[in-house]
Amino acid sequence: MPEVEFTDTEFMICAAARLLEDRKTVFVGWGMPQVAAMLAERLYTPHLVQLFEFGAVGPQSLTPFIQGTMGGPSNIHRSLQWINMNWAFSYAATGYIDYGMLGAAQVDQFGNLNSTLLGGTYARPERRFPGSGGGNEAASFCWKTIVVLKHEPRRFVEKVDFLTSPGYLDGPGARERAGLPKDTGPWRVVTSKALFDFDAETKKMRLLGILKGLDPEEVIRGMGFQPLRAATLQELDPPLEDELRLLREQIDPSGIIIRGEKMRAAR
Amino acid sequence: MPGQVEVHFIHPDEFRRWVRDHKSRDQVDKVMTEQEAVSRFLQDGAYLAYDFSSLTRGPQALVREIIRQRKQNLWICAEFTLHDSPLLVGAGCCTRIDVGFLGYGSYIGQAVCEGKVQVFDNTNGVLAARILAGARGVPFLPLRNFLGTDGLSHSGARVINDPFTNDPVCLVPALNPDVFMIHVHQADIYGNARLFGTNLFALEAAMASKRVIVSAEEIIEPLEFRKDPGRTTIPFFLVDAVVHLPFGAYPGAMPGRYELDLEHIDRLNAIQTEAQMQEHLERYIYGVRDHLEFLEKHVGWPKLKELGRKASIKEGYQ
Repeated sequence: MPEVEFTDTEFMICAAARLLEDRKTVFVGWGMPQVAAMLAERLYTPHLVQLFEFGAVGPQSLTPFIQGTMGGPSNIHRSLQWINMNWAFSYAATGYIDYGMLGAAQVDQFGNLNSTLLGGTYARPERRFPGSGGGNEAASFCWKTIVVLKHEPRRFVEKVDFLTSPGYLDGPGARERAGLPKDTGPWRVVTSKALFDFDAETKKMRLLGILKGLDPEEVIRGMGFQPLRAATLQELDPPLEDELRLLREQIDPSGIIIRGEKMRAAR
Repeated sequence: MPGQVEVHFIHPDEFRRWVRDHKSRDQVDKVMTEQEAVSRFLQDGAYLAYDFSSLTRGPQALVREIIRQRKQNLWICAEFTLHDSPLLVGAGCCTRIDVGFLGYGSYIGQAVCEGKVQVFDNTNGVLAARILAGARGVPFLPLRNFLGTDGLSHSGARVINDPFTNDPVCLVPALNPDVFMIHVHQADIYGNARLFGTNLFALEAAMASKRVIVSAEEIIEPLEFRKDPGRTTIPFFLVDAVVHLPFGAYPGAMPGRYELDLEHIDRLNAIQTEAQMQEHLERYIYGVRDHLEFLEKHVGWPKLKELGRKASIKEGYQ
């Protein structure tokens, strides 16, 4: 069987891009989500309207992706509208944004996200990250939030060190009780090895699929909580030829985002 | 505890009084050097906000001037801050940060871990809303996000039951910065200003702040604003100082004018240790008199021309 070689990041980007729906709207976070949205726009969802927190509505971003291009001319090229942050978040707050896509350092079984700090105390943490940015707004307001993160067991924790962006908090009904908009929340978690969703009743994370050829036991070993498991696990395709060609030749030829750990899988 | 955290907050009436007594409505020539603008309007201990990022249309020349003047104890609004926060903290100018987005690179994260700078975790949307509240002359705005998070305990936000729906709602306190700095494409000598592209909270922050310093790529005739008023970003009576600073966003990009200088940005990204930080500050900031000397000594005309040529996307920026 022919094998394909790719990076863990390439797989995550492709798996995330395949989740988006055409003729919908998506709130796009910095870095990997930007590249996933560009890939989706070119291959799967040409009419997807992208929204950026800094006020770009519906841009048709140019390639190649430029490092730090958030808000730069190639990133906000041919937008429908240029506005500012308060209005950009208002689109999400009023329910116009279907999907949100963002990364995180840690996630717990209810999909709560930490992008702020690890260990220590708040004033003196062991590690400090940039914080929410607009991630909290995406996770609070979008109808369906897609979380993208590298599959490292230490990132899947029983309790996040800092709750930056809300998942289902402590279980069913908790978002509504806290005052967050109804019927929103994390929808999928895309990792470099697997895909998770959330059980409708318990709101707990559930293994939905794994990268073709991997052993599910191996994939969930070491996670800080035991995820539920779907009755039938989907087999996730490794990156397809078209996806890799676009990513490597057009979107990110200098490999700023798509570089990562090498992986192999059967086509 | 929500509400127990230190917040930069002033009563809306105090801000109105400030506007009445200190903001001139007269059309006077406000053009001055960056040295004068920063030394006159930014005091030690001030709360500072700016727009956009260090990679795109940020007031980078003004940030360098703040560092050169060795301002102290600033509290900054890190809304879309990338390289500004590490430089300002590394230079000993900034001791408190409202996050947003803390900044780029390991230096600033390490500075927090070592307790060199105190952080207050808001979010980008919360900070933008707080500035909007400051611009609306109200003490707070209600939000339906930020609820359920740990940021509630580190930001001054409070949760109450909304009297209309009886659901919990998050109240965020108004933010009225002492100083707002913005780099724009065009300004006139009175302070009318326009920028092209998106912005964070250009008009709101200019309205909400006690002092506004505008730096501009180009100084244009006042009549130009009246010929195309739909494109005025900030009217003159909000503005205290106008500084003519071509390439004022360098090493970031000025959309439609010049691209970012990745070589210099890589130098900023490479700063990890205290020694590297001090060496960078010494060479590129303390070691030059002003923005012009910085450009002459460390960038040079051939590079500036090349960055200008690279800005080939003009749609929307003319």
